[in-house]
Parts: sequence; structure tokens; C-alpha cells
Amino acid sequence: MKRNCRRQKTVIRGLFLLCMLILLCSGCARNGRERQAGNGHGVKLTYWCSPNQNEINLAQELVNQWNADHPDIQVILQPIPASQSSEEALLAAIAGKTTPDVCSNMWPGAMDDFTSSGGLVRLDEFPDYFDYMTARIPLDLLESFRAPDGHYYQIPWKTNPIMLMYNVGMFREAGIQKVPLTYSEYLAAAKLITKDLDGDGNYDQWMGYRDIRPIWWQRFFDYFTFYIAASGGKTLFDDSEIIFDNNASVQVFQFFQDIYNNDYYPTTTFQGDNFIAGKLATQFCGPWNVIHVEKFELPGFEFDISPIPVPDDYSGPVYTYGDHKNISIFSTTKYPREAWEFTRYLVTAQADLRLLELCSQIPLRKDLTSNPLYRDYFQQNPKMVKYAEQAPFTRGVDGASDLKEIFDGISQEYEACAIYGRKAPQEAVADAARRASVIIEWNRSR
Amino acid sequence: MKKRSQKIRNNDSAGYLMSLPYIIYFCLFIGFPLVFSFILIFHKWNIITPMEWVGLRNFVRLFRDIQFFKSIQNTLKFLIIHIPLQITVALLLAVLLNQKIKARGFFRALYFLPVIVSGVVITLLWRQLYAYDTGLLNTLLTHLGFARIPWITEPEWAMPSIAIMATWKNVGLYVVLFLVGLQGIPRYMYEAAEMDGAKAYQQFFYITLPALNSTMVLVIILSTIGGFSLFIEPFVMTGGGPINSTLSAMLYIYNQAFYFGHMGYAATLGFFFAFIVLAVVLIQKKFVERKD
Repeated sequence: MKRNCRRQKTVIRGLFLLCMLILLCSGCARNGRERQAGNGHGVKLTYWCSPNQNEINLAQELVNQWNADHPDIQVILQPIPASQSSEEALLAAIAGKTTPDVCSNMWPGAMDDFTSSGGLVRLDEFPDYFDYMTARIPLDLLESFRAPDGHYYQIPWKTNPIMLMYNVGMFREAGIQKVPLTYSEYLAAAKLITKDLDGDGNYDQWMGYRDIRPIWWQRFFDYFTFYIAASGGKTLFDDSEIIFDNNASVQVFQFFQDIYNNDYYPTTTFQGDNFIAGKLATQFCGPWNVIHVEKFELPGFEFDISPIPVPDDYSGPVYTYGDHKNISIFSTTKYPREAWEFTRYLVTAQADLRLLELCSQIPLRKDLTSNPLYRDYFQQNPKMVKYAEQAPFTRGVDGASDLKEIFDGISQEYEACAIYGRKAPQEAVADAARRASVIIEWNRSR
Repeated sequence: MKKRSQKIRNNDSAGYLMSLPYIIYFCLFIGFPLVFSFILIFHKWNIITPMEWVGLRNFVRLFRDIQFFKSIQNTLKFLIIHIPLQITVALLLAVLLNQKIKARGFFRALYFLPVIVSGVVITLLWRQLYAYDTGLLNTLLTHLGFARIPWITEPEWAMPSIAIMATWKNVGLYVVLFLVGLQGIPRYMYEAAEMDGAKAYQQFFYITLPALNSTMVLVIILSTIGGFSLFIEPFVMTGGGPINSTLSAMLYIYNQAFYFGHMGYAATLGFFFAFIVLAVVLIQKKFVERKD
């Protein structure tokens, strides 16, 4: 009996030790692999691009060219891993220390998280950063991408100004002579466009469509775009103070409330592209959509681009949301100089031309409309000229902490006010600002 | 004597070794998270940056957080609909399944089936049933000549709809509990009542219900705790909308932690919410439980 008990204990102890040994070995094996990876010949850089197919094609072309020209610095291309958003994938990579050397899909709104975690390389520590950047973009635009600590962690790369895209044929059929430039013109056009075509009591064509789910980033393409336009280029903050509790915001909320009150936009979810199908007369989108519409449009389909409508009493240049995406180097890189060299290559004049040609996106460069290199492209793509001309009048998001939660608060109020009509615009804007101030004050407790 | 105590010590070490898996489990998945969450209450942490001491700032924000109180209000609204509905339906089914009916075992298993099916699967299924234009329920209603009901698209309807679905999913468990309680009531009590001329409803209200008091307390406490944990249903079905009408406290805490990366604040909300649950359960126990 005693011997049995002892044997049992020995077996249990043996099993326990075996488990510990397996765990230890598996941990060592991983370290061994990591060490092996670092022993490669020459420099190897990992480059993450946007998972969008056109951008993958562009990145692949550029990387192939780079690898052919630089046998000593080889670049491995990977699209950003699948996630709800690129920012989430990058934050997860920072937390897991699995970031690439270079990434070209950096959203300025998330930079505060990236820089405060020490995840990015300071680019202004490279002696030629300022010369290179100021040759490319105006100094004031470069300033807008400066981090709160006074340094630069990103190369401003491209912008996608959000503009009004409209179906010329539907406008013509409805007897609309002039593209709507103001809220009242837009609503008047919407009244003519929104129709029940088959007489079943339900509308079959509408003035437009927006995703009504209270998802924070959806508000970039309705509320925020219209707010920037209505306020003459303001954003949510001025010098870290909330400023969106103003008349411009109220006017935008009121405008969208009028739209949904009158059913000018449907509130159901659609399958497929109903702008191309001729069911929607307008949409608010960036230049990337031009290539898409031209690819799938039916014969006879006509569309054009116009600035975002503004309040009737507005005067001055029409600004819009720029949806900027930039390039950064992650601090996990073992080769910052080589990464900087590769990053500069990604924004050469020739690379920017390919960005236009392959992705229909606007590179951030001050000579875009004057450089002869791009002349042929713009002659062949006249619609893109409007986006290129709009580019200087764009605004990005503020580099504030917890921007996501602030936009979430705005989304909630937008839903209650504009979609469901349960709140007056003034009340909804004030509530959104109140919630934002609670978030900001809490953040300042750092 | 020495030999005996040595033997006890040997047995002790074997016992400790045998319970080591649970001790490891407890330390990793209960003890450590609990202690770490408590530490987080006084910190700000988004996983990727170092933790920062903020003192009681998380509490300051909590008491100014309108949305958190809205989420508690929504959860209470859910409980007010869900608990009475669940008890009534579960008791009714338990009484029926306690009778000598055909295929009793089959029906008992059938009502328990939703309890063991994944909550996500059930919620996806019910989302299809509740669909405004194409849902089975609204198709049925329109065939019967009624108007469509905006089950999950109108703020007034959304939470009751979720409560109905949650009742359908969980009722099987409470049917089993009530069945156990019913089978524990001595038969002679009913026989004596019958001899005294008591009718069926009188037997139910004067014998069954009082005899089920301890089961009732258990069911109320379990459904309250379960109801306060409302998460999967709004997360999958409505995302907390429309207009935050189905934003439960657990969903809000989850959003704060994993959507906005406010681990410290989420921990504060979690602890605060746990105390609310405790208080509600103690109040319920005081009012429902009978010592006799």
C-alpha cells in the first residue's frame, strides 16, 4: 500500500516535471528561431502596405524595382494583417513587438497612440528630413503633422479629398440645371430626385446614401466632412480645446436631419453599388472611387465631381476632409537608415505618378498640378484634376488622444438627432461636446 | 507518533500536488486577474504604453459618464422584463413537465436544448427572425393582417425583443431547477389539501409556491446575475443600438476595455458594477427569502 502510494507520487511528480520541461523547451525553441532569423545575409526590411488590392499592386511594383536596384537592402512586402482597421492591427503589432520596419498606411489620428508607446522612429533625426519634406510639401502642411512632443514621426504621403460625386444623367432627367453647392440647393435637388418609380408606395431612387450605423469612422464621410466645409476648415480641436460645439456643427446636424426626415436617403442596408446602378444620384467619396466607377459603369453612365455643399450663408473656399495616409518607420527596425532610404524612395516623383495611375489617389506634393511629369495623367483623367485642385483645401483629423471615443460620442448623437430625429441639433451637438470634454479631461490626468 | 505525523505530512503533500492544477488555474484565471484589475482601478493603461498612476480619476470620470449610467438603466430595463417573464414561463413549463404526460423526457430535453447551444448562434438565428422586412415573425404578422413590428430597429422595441430572446434561451435551465423543487414537495401535502377540498389553483398558490421559495430565491439570484451579465445578445444583434437603447453595462465595459483601450477605466467600471450587482442580489434575498 505504502509502495503504491509512493509510486503514484513519483508518477505525478514525473508528469509535472515533464509538462514543465515541454513548456521550457517550446519557449527555448521560439527564441532559437528568432535568433536564427537575425543571422541572414545583407539587410532585410519588412514593409507593410494597405490591404487594398490597388495599393498592393503599387507596393509590389515599387518593391520589385527597389529589390532589383538594391541587392544589399532587400524588402519583403506584406499587406497589413486583417483586422477591423489598420490601426488596430498596428497597435496589436506594437504590443506584440511584431511591427514591420516601414508602414505606408499610417492614419494621423492614431499617431498619438503610436508615438506615446515609443513605437515609431523620430524622422527629424535624419539630417535631410526637413530639406526633403519642404521640397515636397508646403511648410505649414508639414507643421500640421508634427507630434505634440514637437517632433516628426511621419512622411505626409497622400490625401483623398472627400467630394460630391453626382450622376449627371439623373440630374438632367430630374430637371436640375445646376450642381447643388449649398444645403438648400442640395435639399431642393433631393426633392426632385427621390421618387417612387413603380408606384408601390416605396421610393426606388434617392438623392444619396450613407451608412447609418454609429460606427465612429463612418462620421468622417458625413458629419466631419460637412463640418470642415461649413466651418471654413476647422477641425474638432483648436490648441487642444474642443471647438466643435458651434453653429457649423448644428447646421450639419440639421442638414442631415432634414435629409432623413424627408427620406431623401434610405435607412436600409443595400447590397452592391447603387450609385453605379443609377438608384442614388450622389455620394461623398474620395478619388479612389473614380477608378471604381469608371471600371464598372454601364454604357451611357455619366458622372462628375463637385465640392461638398455648404450652408447657404457660407462664403469662402470650400474645405473638406483629406483622409490623409502617411509613412512611418517603426522603432523595432534594426536598420533605421536603410528604412529611411527606402521610405524616401516610396515618395519619389515617379512613385507618386504610379500612385495616381494605379490607385487614383492624390500624392501630397505642392507641384502636383504644375509638374510636367503628371501633365499627361491629368489630361487623360480630367475628373482627377478636381481632386488635385481640392487637395490644398483639405483638413485631416486632430492628433488627439482618444479621438476614436470622441468620434464614437459624435456618432451616437448623430444617430439620435439626424437618423431618428429624437434630439434637436443644438442639444445633440452640446451633448457630444460634453461627452468629449469628459474624455479629454480624463486624458489630461496623465 | 512521529511516524504518524510524517505519514500525514506525506499525504498532505500528495494532496497539494493533486490540487495543484486547480491552484494554478485559480491563480492564473481568477486570483491574478482580480488583483490586477484592482491595481488597474488606479491606473490608466492601453496595453501598449506603460501604466500610469491616476489615483481616483477613473472614479471621477465614472460619476460623470452619462453613457455608463444609461447602460445600467438599459440593463435594469432588461432585468425588469426578463426576470418575471423567465420565472413565469419556467414555472409554467416546469408544472406542465411535472405532470404525467406523453414523451415527458423528450420535452424536458427539448426545452433544455437552447441552454447548451452557443449564445452567438442563437442570437444570429433570432436576428434573422426579427428582421424588419424579411424576418419570419414579421412575415407571419403581415400574413395575419397585422403591421410589421420594428423588433430591433426602434429603441422602444429593441430591449424587450432581446429580453424575449434571452428568456427563450435560458428558460430550460430554470425549468430544471423548478422541476427539482417540485419533485421535492411531499405528495401528502397535496393529498391533504384535496381532502380538505382545495382546488388546483389553491394548491398551487398555497402549497407549490411557498414550497418553492428556496428554488425561487435561487432562480431570481441566478437570473439577476445572468441578466446583469447581458453581453452576447446586444453585442451580436444590435451592437448596443439603436440610439444606445440596448447598450448593456457589460457591453459598455467591454467597449471601454477592448474598443477604446481604456483598461484602467474598464476595471473601475467593472468593480463598481460588481458592487451594484451584489447590492441588488442582497436586496432581492432579503425580500424574497423566507426563513420558515
